[in-house]
Amino acid sequence: MGDIGINVPGLVAQLVCFFILFGLLTFLLYKPVRRILDERSERIRVSMEQAEQIKETMAKTEEQVKEQLDAARREGQNILAQAGQMGERLREEAREEAKQDAETIITRARTEIQRERDDAIQELRRQFADLAITAAEKVISETLDREKHRRLIEEVLEQAPKGQG
Amino acid sequence: MARIRSWWGGLGRRRRVGIIALALVVLIIVGSVLLRAPLPHVELAAEPLFGPITNTMLAALFTIIVVGAVCFAVTRKMRIVPRGLQNIVEALLEMLINFVDDTAGKEYGRKFFPVIATIFVFVIANAWLALIPGFMTIGFWHETEEGARTIWPFLRGANTDINFPLALALVSFIFVEYWGLRSQGFSRYIRKFFSVGGLFRGIGQIFRGKIRSGLGTLFSGFVDFFAGFIEAISELVRILSLTVRLFGNMTAGEILLLMMIFLIPWVVPSVFYGLELFLGFVQALIFAGLTLVFLVIAVTPREEHE
Repeated sequence: MGDIGINVPGLVAQLVCFFILFGLLTFLLYKPVRRILDERSERIRVSMEQAEQIKETMAKTEEQVKEQLDAARREGQNILAQAGQMGERLREEAREEAKQDAETIITRARTEIQRERDDAIQELRRQFADLAITAAEKVISETLDREKHRRLIEEVLEQAPKGQG
Repeated sequence: MARIRSWWGGLGRRRRVGIIALALVVLIIVGSVLLRAPLPHVELAAEPLFGPITNTMLAALFTIIVVGAVCFAVTRKMRIVPRGLQNIVEALLEMLINFVDDTAGKEYGRKFFPVIATIFVFVIANAWLALIPGFMTIGFWHETEEGARTIWPFLRGANTDINFPLALALVSFIFVEYWGLRSQGFSRYIRKFFSVGGLFRGIGQIFRGKIRSGLGTLFSGFVDFFAGFIEAISELVRILSLTVRLFGNMTAGEILLLMMIFLIPWVVPSVFYGLELFLGFVQALIFAGLTLVFLVIAVTPREEHE
């Protein structure tokens, strides 16, 4: 074995070298790298989970917002409908009131007109009596005293049918 | 410099290739004529430098220091987001981890990894660092018994000292046997190499008068026993084959390099340097891979045939 170089000290030395490197690599390379790889994969796992959560939360929030929007829209429509109804009612009331006002005015005007007419007839009748008296005076100069005459005419007029004067 | 560059760029592609080829030929001729290397004296055993300390021990130590320094530099401040050297080392180590895990499975992979990786790193680092100029060339002058003068280099790749491959092979062997015993239990594991159950059953049957079936059982028991014996031998031969494969390949590669340098000192050996880089990687992979495969075989339970 001498030619090829196998000897116990050499073998032992190389074994020692192997175990030195083994220890060195274990502490300087394998453990730190394993740790960092594990840490990294853990971190990636966690952040992916977080991303998943965030996605879920976002979906939920979106759902909520949609619901709220729907509710708001419905409410708005309700309000609009109510406003329309109220407007209709107000208009109806206003029309009713106006109608009543108009009727009152017309009634009042009618009463007024009636009264005016009555007054005018009264006046006319009086003036006509005066005129008749004057004329009669002219014709039969003073045969009758004035007071008598008036009474006479009044009587005639009373006898005349009313609506013809 | 700029003028040279513009001149170089102005040349055609064929001319440039021609000029490079010419320069290489000139370098080869100059090297061959002016700088002859001495004829290498092949010494298989590692040369002792100071007492029992051999140059291969120094080289192994050198490898440990370099690898240790690189690892220290890389893992001193590990970042969760890797950069630069840390990235490279991590990627390489992860490849190795995946290689081990794929072969041995996740559970055993974690346990096997440190030894497999150390074998791989040690072999490849020894092989590659031995290509640094100065290895094999700087050393003492030494007079051989025949009176020739040769160099005993200070540094010689540890892979080329048979003690190193042998040490690795022993580590590999012991590790494999340890895991075989541990995972399968002593009696189960030892039965793989030493099975006499069939023989005893056969003898028992013969005594009970069932000669015919007894002989059959005896025969198959004998076959089992012989197979176990062969199994044991092959397990032992692994030490030899691992040792000699690494030692032979690396020593041959080294001698090849020295011979090429002796024959054509310049340019041509570069090609063989490239070859040696590849060879170093392959040998490291084979040594680590075979150890891994042996481990997997050792921990895989055999189906019992009764």
